[in-house]
Amino acid sequence: MKSIPFKLILIVLALSLVYACTNRRDGSTQSEDPQATSHPKGQASVEDDVSAKNILQVAMSSEAHSTLVAAVAAAQIEHVLVNAGPLTVFAPINEAFDALPEGTVENLLKPENKAQLATILTRHAAPGSFDIDALKREATKGRKIYMATGDYLEVVIEGDKIFVGGAEILSTIPTSNGVIQVVNKVILP
Amino acid sequence: MKTSIRIHSLLMAGLAFLAMSCDQGNRAGNGALSSNIAEKVYIAPGERDEQYGFLSGGYSGNLTVYGLPSGRMFKEIPVFSQFPTSGYGYSEETKPMLNTSFGFVPWDDLHHPDISQTKGELDGRWIFANGNNTPRIARISLTTFETEEIIEVPNSAGNHSSSFITENTEYVVAGTRFSVPVPQRDMPISEYKSNFKGALTFIAVDPEHGHFNIKFQLIMPGFNYDLSHPGRDKSHGWFFFSTYNTEEANTLLEVNASQNDKDFIAAINWKKIEAYVNNGGGKKVPARYAHNVYDESTHTATSTIKEEVLTVDPSDVPGAIYFLPTPKSPHGCDVDPSGQYIIGSGKLSADITVHSFDKMLAAIDAKKFDGEAYGIPILNYDDILAGTVQSGGLGPLHTEFDGRGNAYTTFFISSEVVKWKLGTWEVIDRQPTFYSVGHLMIPGGNSRKPHGKYLVAMNKITKDRYLPTGPEMEHSAQIYDISGEKMQLLYDFPTHGEPHYAAGCDAELIVNNSKKIYRLDENKHPYAITSPAQAKVERKGNEVHIYMSTIRSHFTPDNIEGIKVGDKVYFHITNHEQDFDVPHGFSIIGQGTSEILIMPGQTKTSLWEPKRVGVWPFYCTDFCSALHQEMQGYVRVSPANANIELSWSLDE
Amino acid sequence: MKKASILMIIGSAMLLSLFVFPMWNIRLGAPQYPEPLGIDIYINGLRGESEFDIQNIDGLNHYIGMKTLPKPEEMWEFSVFPLVILAMSIMGILIGFLSIAGKLSSNWFLLWFVLMSILGILGMYDFNQWLVAYGTDLDPNAIMKLLNPDGTPMKYNPPLMGHKKLLNFDAYSYPRLGGVLMGIGMIFTLTAYFIGRSKVIKTR
Repeated sequence: MKSIPFKLILIVLALSLVYACTNRRDGSTQSEDPQATSHPKGQASVEDDVSAKNILQVAMSSEAHSTLVAAVAAAQIEHVLVNAGPLTVFAPINEAFDALPEGTVENLLKPENKAQLATILTRHAAPGSFDIDALKREATKGRKIYMATGDYLEVVIEGDKIFVGGAEILSTIPTSNGVIQVVNKVILP
Repeated sequence: MKTSIRIHSLLMAGLAFLAMSCDQGNRAGNGALSSNIAEKVYIAPGERDEQYGFLSGGYSGNLTVYGLPSGRMFKEIPVFSQFPTSGYGYSEETKPMLNTSFGFVPWDDLHHPDISQTKGELDGRWIFANGNNTPRIARISLTTFETEEIIEVPNSAGNHSSSFITENTEYVVAGTRFSVPVPQRDMPISEYKSNFKGALTFIAVDPEHGHFNIKFQLIMPGFNYDLSHPGRDKSHGWFFFSTYNTEEANTLLEVNASQNDKDFIAAINWKKIEAYVNNGGGKKVPARYAHNVYDESTHTATSTIKEEVLTVDPSDVPGAIYFLPTPKSPHGCDVDPSGQYIIGSGKLSADITVHSFDKMLAAIDAKKFDGEAYGIPILNYDDILAGTVQSGGLGPLHTEFDGRGNAYTTFFISSEVVKWKLGTWEVIDRQPTFYSVGHLMIPGGNSRKPHGKYLVAMNKITKDRYLPTGPEMEHSAQIYDISGEKMQLLYDFPTHGEPHYAAGCDAELIVNNSKKIYRLDENKHPYAITSPAQAKVERKGNEVHIYMSTIRSHFTPDNIEGIKVGDKVYFHITNHEQDFDVPHGFSIIGQGTSEILIMPGQTKTSLWEPKRVGVWPFYCTDFCSALHQEMQGYVRVSPANANIELSWSLDE
Repeated sequence: MKKASILMIIGSAMLLSLFVFPMWNIRLGAPQYPEPLGIDIYINGLRGESEFDIQNIDGLNHYIGMKTLPKPEEMWEFSVFPLVILAMSIMGILIGFLSIAGKLSSNWFLLWFVLMSILGILGMYDFNQWLVAYGTDLDPNAIMKLLNPDGTPMKYNPPLMGHKKLLNFDAYSYPRLGGVLMGIGMIFTLTAYFIGRSKVIKTR
């Protein structure tokens, strides 16, 4: 007789333990990873309306570069364009992307082609600040520009026009972290 | 009855099992819990951190001491900068520490701390650091956490590929970033090419006291020597320096020094050069440089100006130096714990280049060279390449190791740390940093035996990570747990100055050796007094020396008369406490220097030049005791022509 | 009888350990002293448990007007106690040898024990007197003069044995190795007496 209450206590204990156990497991599924909520885009999501605009901010405000901006977002390389740099970005206008073979852009924007797209885009970025005078100096001294992918692009002057890697410079926009050289072509290897 | 026992034991066993499995399930489930991350960095009140981190202070000129994983700052150790907090560089005893051949230079840019090693493992005796601007190397004691020695490096400029040590602390090595005319002279800047030289300096470290002595300077071609690391284990005896500007440009380097597709890592067989020097090789040339040594028993530093240095021309020691072609202006130059891999991070490149030490030796044996530069053989890139890491990041800078076959490289432009495997070169993990990471540090990560539990990323840009503090923000560091396959970001913490590199180690290496007090009976300071009865004031012309003591809560003496305007008054204060963490401070109105903080058993001197007649108070600046506010005194200052006799007293 | 005599010799010889090990210890701990300050009391003087403990205790005590801890030459006890202990030890050992030789009976063991106990009690009494004097004879110009709730001046004497709270300090007073060995030695001598007596009864 004496052993029954003891047995009961054990059973109750066991049940409560099971309950506590399952309960705690439920709890863990509800919590979130703090890293996931902390600045997914890195420096690109810093809010700052006062500083001079950086390359990404300028590009985003330019209607002529909506395709480029979409591509940068798809390749998830925004943070490169807001980096301290200095960088020179040869920014193809929307028409330049349109001129690519049918379906090329759509294909590159697919998530599985992210790496390829990133490579193509970083081929348009050069470490260093190259304004028009600097580009002219490179051309006259016969020096090539080293791009972030490791490729070298040639600078050529033809009359009033300057070409980098075969793309013509249409205009120049200074930014807080470098220079945007607007070009009429996507620079492919 | 028997059945009931059986049921009992079954139930009990089941309960125990349940409790155990519940606990395990819980632990596994917590992996993703944010509270679990918090627990990893949470050090409860009274508990202590697992590891020390010594972060360089960059332009603060000092070294800061942190606890890991909490990120709490414990101390700022003054090294190359005057530090009013303790009186370093202001007190008469420590002024000589900042003496140079250019005179008193009260600031420098401290870059790369490195902890002393024995057999390639951290031994926790000293930490070394370089002053970048007016080239200097410092040795800091890890028992007193005080700077004990500073040596100036002649023929050097922008002392950047420094202060890395060989695996038994035989040498601390200092390489020049800027090549300069050697010896310095008046000449046109445009004649840089082939006229400027880059000095790589090997400073011998006395194994017992740690004292410095420049063993030799290697006078290399006029490139920029950016960073360096020693060979270790199998490559012990070699030293590797990354270079840029092999173009030898003297203007607009951002363009002109980025022309060559490949620059070099210079591989230097220092044992061979050491043997050459020991056999009488090398040339002694005139040079002026300061050597400052702090003596713990006199609590006083002395500065000596040296007039000569031994230089070695690379062409005189054939077979000791080779160039390893490395793409795109390599910055970081890191050697893995086995000594087999030399990692060059081309800062403008997307890939990381890894050279093989074995392949390098084989190529040297086979004499397979791809030309030479200034008589130094250049090896063939493909012959020595172990592999490249196709990182997918941009702007690789520095690499550290965890001792488990993994390497971790920072990428400045793409703001991330990438973990990759040595040997297979595959990328295992990548984590963002916030933002634009420069150096990283794994405690012991540049030794044979890393203490690889945490990784500290030191970022160059802070922006919005903390509450804003005006235009200038302190740099931010992030700590990652690297004990698992994936890195886990644990914590952000602000740092002081600009940390370029850091060193760290397990706490146990240092904790038990850390000094608590200086023994008063070992104090050999010429102005020390070991008993308040010895307190006195002496006049020598217009110099007045006050021998003063402190103990809770008074100065002896605390009333002094007979001082005159125009006197130079030296307060030599001995702290008679022999109790851990009971310093006393001293300051006096109109003091043209800073206060001084005197540790138990120590003597320090503050110079005061009274300019006005009056009775001027002095007081203890460190809240020492319940009667700290009573710890004060007066000095009577009379006109220069007054006839007041010197007198001093306490409670008379 | 021989066994008892040997026990008597060992027991009284154990007093000599007081020349090597401390007899008593007083320890003061406080939040700002995670490693407590300690005084080891030897028969010939006081020593700090760590090298600078005495100096630091004196430093703290000057705030409440306590005298500095006595140097050996400042207390007659530190010169007399060693002589008493030495004399008692020699006497006990002599008694032991003489009883082996059959010159003395085991009653002498008891006599020695009683004498030693009286001396011990006197010593403890003297020690307590000193503690009280030390803790209550305070400098009238002391920096801090603290009163008990009933208005009487606060006393700071540590306990003779055990724990006592003194302001923010926890004071602990316990025997150390020398004192413990002396106690065991004395028990040995008493045991020697009982063994010796039962032998005598048996032989009768």
